[in-house]
Amino acid sequence: MDYIDYYKILDLKKDASTEDIKKAYRKLARKHHPDLNPNNEEANKKFQQINEANEVLSDPEKRKKYDKYGKDWQHADQLDAQEQQRRQYQSQGGGYGGNSYSGGFGGEDFSDFFSSMFGGGGGRSSKNSPFKGQDYNADLQLNLLDAYTTHKQTLTVNGKQVRITIPAGVENGQKIKLPGYGAPGVNNGPPGDLFIKFNITDDPKFKRKGNDIYIQEEVDLYTAVLGGEKIVETLNGKVKLKIPEGTQPDTTLRLKGKGFPVYKKDNQFGDLYIKWQVKIPTNLNTEQKELFEKLSKF
Amino acid sequence: METYLIPVEDICAYHHVEINFIRSLEDFGLIHTTIKKQSVFLPIDELSKLEQYLRLAQDLEINLEGIHAVSHLLNQVQDLQDKITFLQNELNYYKQLNQH
Repeated sequence: MDYIDYYKILDLKKDASTEDIKKAYRKLARKHHPDLNPNNEEANKKFQQINEANEVLSDPEKRKKYDKYGKDWQHADQLDAQEQQRRQYQSQGGGYGGNSYSGGFGGEDFSDFFSSMFGGGGGRSSKNSPFKGQDYNADLQLNLLDAYTTHKQTLTVNGKQVRITIPAGVENGQKIKLPGYGAPGVNNGPPGDLFIKFNITDDPKFKRKGNDIYIQEEVDLYTAVLGGEKIVETLNGKVKLKIPEGTQPDTTLRLKGKGFPVYKKDNQFGDLYIKWQVKIPTNLNTEQKELFEKLSKF
Repeated sequence: METYLIPVEDICAYHHVEINFIRSLEDFGLIHTTIKKQSVFLPIDELSKLEQYLRLAQDLEINLEGIHAVSHLLNQVQDLQDKITFLQNELNYYKQLNQH
């Protein structure tokens, strides 16, 4: 546990007035407030530090104690005294562990240093007000085929089992909100929400671009020249495709509605694009070479 | 599906906020309330937005005009983030094609 210089955090001198502290806090809070920095963990962390520094320095009692013992908090005698004071403080109902921001931190996120000096968590102006619980964020890894169908999955979030329905067609990086699955509220406040971000891994065969799927299929030279049929695997089964004679390399075929399902739109699908890669035969034997030479003279 | 409605009076008592603040937010088009049987309700979907505006007002002392501007900019940030995700996915598609 390290000593935390609250004056440094708020960029203040030791003799800063209450007004200076308020100004410094407001200035930094405007810069790092989690509502103004969505999905920014660093800003969230910084805001917690600013909040903690303000919690201590704006309260004359806490500031006095911090100024007196802060740097030498590890000294045994002083720690004993602090412990006594902490117990007294908690018995007076001062050990409030709540938070007033539902988007990123809870009272338990006050530093160990703070807890050792002042006990419990912080708590801002409205100590007994009900507040919405902390929001949780979770990442969920899916492969492309998982994202193709609507399915249920059980997640463990903060030790609790949460069964969720993942709609077909979710995008890589997409976030969904599950209201009420966050931390319990404080003082009978509503629970926070759970945000799940989907990370969809690449598939070696099927390449996704929006709701369309792209694949490359090999076709041998003879079929490309003379025409024929080929069975191709799609995301929802195999299809038999006709290859017209004279198919050129890199010719792309579109299969309407055989692509990826459109998110939350029943029976709507993107398209499947198949690019034919004409495979030129190698290691020809003498007879084959002679036949190709004959053909080339036509 | 029926939307769950919260009486605005309860929200005001809960968050220690004047009803005028909520009315002003509605005037700015930042939230939408519904009237049922002469009482004003807030749809639950709007609650997180309202709480965010309350934090901006209480934590940062931002006035309504400021909240309006911040909300507009945050929406733009969200749109840009969505666009980045979309472009990253597109870029990934082309990267995969090159590896092929």
